[in-house]
Amino acid sequence: MKLIYSELKKFFPNLDVKPQQLRDDLTMIGHFTNFFEEINDEIVFDLDIKVNRGDCLGYYGLAKDLAVLYNVPFKNLSVETFCKTSLPTLPIQITTDNVKRVMSAKISNLKNSTSPQWLKTFLKCHGANSINTLVDLTNYIMFLYGIPSHAFDIKKSGENLIWEMNSKFKEFTSLDGSKLKLDNKILMINNPDKALSLSFWGGEACAIDLDTIETIIELAVYDRATVRQNSRQLQAITEASVRLEKDIDPELIPIAFNHLCNLILENCGGQINSQLFDYYPQKINLPQIEFNLNQPSQFAGIDIPTDFVFDCLTRLGCVVSPTIYDLRSTIYTITPPTTRKDITQMEDLVEEVVRFWGYNKIPTNQPITFKEVADITPPEIYLIDSLKDKLIQLGYDEVLTWPLVTTPVDPKNVITTQNSINSEAIYLRQSLIPSLTQQLDQYTRFKLPNPQFFEIGKIFFQEGDKYIEKNALGIYNFDSKKLQLDIEQLNLPLVKEGMREIGFFAEIILDNLPNPKKYIPQQTQNNAYELTSQIITLDANITLDKEEEPLSLIKKYSNIIGTQLLWEITIADVYHDTKTNKYRYTFRVSYFNTDDKTAKELHLKSFGLK
Amino acid sequence: MNQNLDQIKNNYSTKINSISTDIELEQLRIEIFGRNGLINDLFSKIKDIPNIEKKQYGTDLNQLKTELEQKLKDKLNYVETHHDTSLPPKEIYNLRSTIYQLPKVGHLHPVTQTERQLNEVFRKLGFSVYDSPEIVTDEFNFERLNVPKDHPARDMQDSIYIKEPEYLLRTQTSTIESYLLKAKAGDLPTRAAFPGSVFRNEKVNRSNHFVFHQYQAVVVDKGITMKDLIGTMDLMFKTLYGNDVVVRYRCKYYPEVEPGVGPDMQCFNCHGVGCPLCKYAGWIEMGGSGMIHPKVLQAAGIDTKVWSGFAFGMGLDRWTMAQKNIKDIRTLMGGNLAYKPNEL
Repeated sequence: MKLIYSELKKFFPNLDVKPQQLRDDLTMIGHFTNFFEEINDEIVFDLDIKVNRGDCLGYYGLAKDLAVLYNVPFKNLSVETFCKTSLPTLPIQITTDNVKRVMSAKISNLKNSTSPQWLKTFLKCHGANSINTLVDLTNYIMFLYGIPSHAFDIKKSGENLIWEMNSKFKEFTSLDGSKLKLDNKILMINNPDKALSLSFWGGEACAIDLDTIETIIELAVYDRATVRQNSRQLQAITEASVRLEKDIDPELIPIAFNHLCNLILENCGGQINSQLFDYYPQKINLPQIEFNLNQPSQFAGIDIPTDFVFDCLTRLGCVVSPTIYDLRSTIYTITPPTTRKDITQMEDLVEEVVRFWGYNKIPTNQPITFKEVADITPPEIYLIDSLKDKLIQLGYDEVLTWPLVTTPVDPKNVITTQNSINSEAIYLRQSLIPSLTQQLDQYTRFKLPNPQFFEIGKIFFQEGDKYIEKNALGIYNFDSKKLQLDIEQLNLPLVKEGMREIGFFAEIILDNLPNPKKYIPQQTQNNAYELTSQIITLDANITLDKEEEPLSLIKKYSNIIGTQLLWEITIADVYHDTKTNKYRYTFRVSYFNTDDKTAKELHLKSFGLK
Repeated sequence: MNQNLDQIKNNYSTKINSISTDIELEQLRIEIFGRNGLINDLFSKIKDIPNIEKKQYGTDLNQLKTELEQKLKDKLNYVETHHDTSLPPKEIYNLRSTIYQLPKVGHLHPVTQTERQLNEVFRKLGFSVYDSPEIVTDEFNFERLNVPKDHPARDMQDSIYIKEPEYLLRTQTSTIESYLLKAKAGDLPTRAAFPGSVFRNEKVNRSNHFVFHQYQAVVVDKGITMKDLIGTMDLMFKTLYGNDVVVRYRCKYYPEVEPGVGPDMQCFNCHGVGCPLCKYAGWIEMGGSGMIHPKVLQAAGIDTKVWSGFAFGMGLDRWTMAQKNIKDIRTLMGGNLAYKPNEL
């Protein structure tokens, strides 16, 4: 989206901000501005507007934001237009629910001409061609308010305009002469005999020209999903479609419409010759958001005064009403302005406040602190990490290859992509070996001596209607004997292998390996101790009626002895007395940093020998 | 000497005598004394020899080994002093480099190196490393991330479909977040980082690829703030780019977060002045982040009155390319990426 500095300043004439500062400020509040440049003595900014800020695809919405940021009064540029009720009504029909609002009027006795220079320059800065005054003014209003508008030459279109889902026309010719095939999912403006216009693109059949003397102008808002679908289906993206597929405020239409009427009367003469047509079947429902003025501080993690929060929301055009009548309460009910369709809940209001308070006021040197939470790393990830380490120690280089391939290994269970634009690679790989073979070919082309490399990645196949993916390791070594030895060192079950004239490929599936938890690295405390006396080692025999798991016994007696003096505990011997059918376990326990007497007392007590 | 060994000795003695170049001699040496060579093979057969003959066999084998070693040594002395000067010296150097080759060093792919660098940072902060399938449903890739059907944000990502509209290849690592939140909804708090491949329907060329790599980190806990998010992201950037890196954090839109935060790094080429690399903005967009949108948490069944969280993600390929001075993104995936065999 382009933004002419002088045009923006019309909304707040007293604003004094240097272009560089404006660029940075726009960016910080969410309207990323790449750069500004000079075109025909005008300073023009290049902005990326957020997907959810359809209101900022026009100067009006951006100016509203900047008025809050700079705390300057906002000047409305539109003036009231009078459509006399004594005039005839327009015979417009609307037969689809996909129209949210249409405002329209007829203007007669026009004198159309080439556009004045200011209008030509404005459009040039926006990358649009000048056509004639009437057409250019409709485009000017679109750029100003973010709402597309359209003018029909009554001589060609007649007055019986119908907003409808297309049911009878097969083809449409746009203003630039493109011929588009139509079906019945297309939202259109037609008359009983002709396809006149798409919702987002005017048609040749009713185009305004210099001979136009009578026009119907309209501004409309549609169901955005329908416009989006139509635009995608017809592969036609226009300045209008980009705007109409966003959430546009239908309440803004009268302001933009009045402005357009005034500009036409001012620049083309003529007079309004119909009653105002205003189709607006369902007014928008504004959300009522319960909001605590402390919430921005809680979310941001910094102190944002409640006075600022209140003031900011008010300047944004929100209705801020106390929820309970208590002067000390910080809880309010917020009703956002109709232009801000993106504000629907508490978090949206928080963002509004924080962006105007300044993201740059949040400290950057306070990361989240360590906290011990459950390790949910899948064992396979530890296995993959450890395999990669082993393989590079063995002299293998890691490569990554395309997961999409040209030829299936087994066409019966291959998974095929439906819409890949890379027509040469449409199958998900079923094995790493073909991809590694291609990698080898690449290395051979570069005459790389003695390559040995590996990849760990996903392989895919289909089982019935299920899509299966598994982690696999693929390895290549130019020396096939060395590869066999290396694979033995990895201690993994080999599933696929293949010889090439020189060298050897192998593939191993890493999922569903027995006891995967063994790959999880043991956490150690890394404690170190200063030894102040000799280690004391004592034995203890205990006799049990049944055989028990040695490691459990070691854990049990470790807990009884405690960690303070215990150095190590082992079971040195297990004896089964077949006569008595009892089991004798001989424990060997080492104690540290203590004297003989203390160690012995603890030892006897721990094993119940005292 | 054992008759069989005697015959072997005679055969190899003849071979040694017939050799006239040091290259052939080296090849024969490997054949006899290499790891999988003759002598090792004969030693491995000792276990099959009857016990009564084992001692004699061992003595004979050692004798064979000593004799063949001596013959090779003598022959090498002879060849070196009488070598054919018509042979190009290069061949000799090749022989030497074969004998005295430095051990080959393996290397991790640069993307893996970056992932590990980041994993290390996040593990120290108590994060797990997580992953999820690459073939995913629309629900996990879009719906659970607050991108309903026909939402304009879907245009930000051109998907590769397996079975339209239900199954596709994941377009972002946020998809892993959907799986994580579902798995951990009843067992919070949680912290996880996830490096992963993601797919977009892009034509492969010098600057674009249909598969690339992202890194994402997610925290869900009580009382998580934007300060936690920005501080943690800054730590990550300092880990990757050094302490002098200048990063600004601005308001940015992503459907799965609110408020959204966009980190931009000051262009390292022009230091903020503006150049073709940063498209004259002076800053380079580094990814996206924000406080996890309540709808995303609610979709996983998480009570947003109790829990909040942050998420951030960034692409790894561009950074890796800049770091390794790689100009063509295809190099990273099955391309002409290679490593010096002895460079640590």
